[in-house]
Amino acid sequence: MKLNYIIREGVIGIRRARMPFMISVFSVMIALLMVGIGILAVDNGLQYIGNFQADYDLEIFLENGATLGDKQEISDIITGNPGIIRMDYLSKEDAAALYNAEFGEDVLSLLDDNPLPSSFRVTFDDEHRNGSYIQLFINTMEMTRSVDEVIFKKDLFERIQGILKSIYIAAAAALFSIILSTVFLTANNLRLMILSRYEFIEAVRLLGASDFMVKAPFFLEGGLLGFLGAALATLCIFGLETALAYFNIIDLPVRIVNHPEVIVGLLIFGISLASLGVLKAVRRMLRFVA
Amino acid sequence: MINFKKATLRYDSGISVRNLDFSIEGDEFVYIYGPSGSGKSSILKMIYMDLFPNEGEVLVFDQNSSSAKRREIARVRQQVGMVFEGFKLLADRDNYCNIALPLEIQGMKADDVHSRVVRLADDLGIRSRLHHFPQELSGGEQQRIALARAMITSPKILLADEPTAHLDSKASTDIMEWLWKIHQKGTCVIFATHKEHFLKQEPARTISLIAGEIVADSA
Repeated sequence: MKLNYIIREGVIGIRRARMPFMISVFSVMIALLMVGIGILAVDNGLQYIGNFQADYDLEIFLENGATLGDKQEISDIITGNPGIIRMDYLSKEDAAALYNAEFGEDVLSLLDDNPLPSSFRVTFDDEHRNGSYIQLFINTMEMTRSVDEVIFKKDLFERIQGILKSIYIAAAAALFSIILSTVFLTANNLRLMILSRYEFIEAVRLLGASDFMVKAPFFLEGGLLGFLGAALATLCIFGLETALAYFNIIDLPVRIVNHPEVIVGLLIFGISLASLGVLKAVRRMLRFVA
Repeated sequence: MINFKKATLRYDSGISVRNLDFSIEGDEFVYIYGPSGSGKSSILKMIYMDLFPNEGEVLVFDQNSSSAKRREIARVRQQVGMVFEGFKLLADRDNYCNIALPLEIQGMKADDVHSRVVRLADDLGIRSRLHHFPQELSGGEQQRIALARAMITSPKILLADEPTAHLDSKASTDIMEWLWKIHQKGTCVIFATHKEHFLKQEPARTISLIAGEIVADSA
């Protein structure tokens, strides 16, 4: 029966303090909208930079006299290394075609023989795309028979890695500030909401309600408030993404619907933020109530 | 049932009551009598454990208020009914819900709550007012609602802090009659007042206060 009381008082509390409740839902929604947009903006930004990064990390040029067996051996060595997500072989003819496509000249018409070497292009996964690992790989390859040269686009690689690192730090700092301001903003609103219920809290304390019985309906209210705020924030983000795509402004590679973990995270964050915020506000008020 | 053992309560602005030493038994009707500021409300607040003595002890149902935990205070309050000068009814719910609240806090079933509220409202003559809001009633009626809320759990002690302060003489007399009826059913009633005529109308044990000190106890 106490559960009935808690549920009923929670619902009645919302009905009786409709305005402060709606304002709090709105503030949680705005706060979580900022968090959600922040997460998706960072994710999309990283995806964009990731796309911008070269299709491959390094190119292994072979000597002109490399035999089919040498090439097979080199291929086996490359694929035998962990962290290789892609390996492409470019024959001398492929290299000539690329040269033609890039410079508009047919290399065979300029020279009698095709001087361009055949090569392997190698791409690493994110876990292994770091300077020390790649350098170790280069050293191995340079010692392999029939390998002429290994070209690692170090400058571009390091620049992109640097940019990514800065973005990670900036994004983490921005998200942290957003979350912090979200917590303060929401806590303040919840405190105002609880303040409007001072009379009720005082009355039930005097009538012999335990702390649990005072707090429980508010905890429920807070949970509902947080859920509504988070759900509305998610809907707003979804609407925004759809609108951006519909009006051909930008087609985002990362969307909230593709990331249920972001939706679940927002809901959990919203519910915890609001219910704990409400509890804290009630606990603080109980210090001043009989 | 209630024991004050050399209890002194000191506010930052000065002493409120000093060296209170008395006991109240379960079958008593007691007036706490004195002018405004003499410490009547402080005594009642110490009984329902809203205030705690700086020196000495206050025991209610053998529970020492100074060492009581919040849970224990809640348990004591469930056995103490309170009627305040300003009624302290919740304006955002009707009179039925106001009266039913203490039972709901204790987890009583809705049907039982309903029958008890209706029965008590009948006794107090306020049944027709149950679905009105407190602010729609006169002062006397509001005080009867407050009395019903205080009595709905059948408490062992009823504290009445100047319950007739804002009422006309007819309403005051009604409330006094009700307090005596409640007492006759076995509830210990502690009535704080500054009006001397009540003491003459319905004589009972009187603890007289002046400036926070007991100057007479007719026990």
